Amino acid sequence: MKETLKLICFNFIFYILFLLFSIIGIPVFSAIVAFQAIFISHRNGMKKFRRAIAWYGLGVIKVLPFPFVRVFYKNLDTTAEKGPFIFVCNHRSASDPFLMACLPYELVQIVNIWPFKLPVLGFMARAAGYLSVRELPFEEFSKKTTDLLHEGVSIVAFPEGTRSADGSLGQFHSSIFRVALSSGYPISPICITGNENIPARGTLLLKPGTIKIHKLPHLKFEDYKNLTPFKLKNSVRQIIAEGIEVMKGKKSL
Amino acid sequence: MTEQEIITLSNQVFEESFEIEKEKLKPEMNIFLDLGLDSLDIVDLVVALQEKFGVKIRNDDRIKNIRTLGDIYKFILSLKAEGASSSL
Repeated sequence: MKETLKLICFNFIFYILFLLFSIIGIPVFSAIVAFQAIFISHRNGMKKFRRAIAWYGLGVIKVLPFPFVRVFYKNLDTTAEKGPFIFVCNHRSASDPFLMACLPYELVQIVNIWPFKLPVLGFMARAAGYLSVRELPFEEFSKKTTDLLHEGVSIVAFPEGTRSADGSLGQFHSSIFRVALSSGYPISPICITGNENIPARGTLLLKPGTIKIHKLPHLKFEDYKNLTPFKLKNSVRQIIAEGIEVMKGKKSL
Repeated sequence: MTEQEIITLSNQVFEESFEIEKEKLKPEMNIFLDLGLDSLDIVDLVVALQEKFGVKIRNDDRIKNIRTLGDIYKFILSLKAEGASSSL
């Protein structure tokens, strides 16, 4: 009974704060960036807009649900690794894009169609140049992602395509790995654990928990250039699967 | 070409082009869910099958109905049968 009450309170407070933060925060962030964009180049304007999304993501996933939800990132040393990277991570929850938005890189996420249909958030995603993989023919998708990488923008992809119903790691799609093979940028595998119920698939109910995000050592082009797209996607899938096992304590390093 | 030869050559395509272990290559295996191919991999698969069997299948609508490895064996078998009857 006490736990249920705690859960209701947590969700009630979170969603009230989330609505307030979105209603106030998004127009404020957008207005600041729009004002700055008058005086700077389009490229720098996009950079600032993506930075604003990162701040918004930080607020939504780290600040608002605290202390019920705690988020820990590991191996995010940007001084040693400048990027841009092709970040590839497992997909467990609707909170994954918010977690990825907080990575300390300028980035664009490859998302499904539905986030673009969300009010306000969909507008922000489009404005920041996020890509809807299912709406683009592969050639166009490849060109857009490669152009972004050349500009110094990292790409975040969820190659499972959708959240698995049981939390297991699904099969990977090869699109982003084909882009990696043709563009030559490093692939950075990322493992997310602990957010299976924040929120679970098919519900908006958040449960308290600890989310861990581990950035694994990246694969340089020299490491993977001789692999086929199929072999590459399965190799990265294996790396992420083992990383998750290590994080869960089921496997040692 | 016998059915067994078609099975052997089809399996070779999966081993050579996708490096899938022989043990996994069973007729009931779903090429998407069990073997992990996606829509772009299917394009590579079609090219590899065309080269291996010397047939043209790129524009054949029946490809869209393929789900299992067994479906591929049957599809190639039917193509070979059609080729043999048209050459008579």
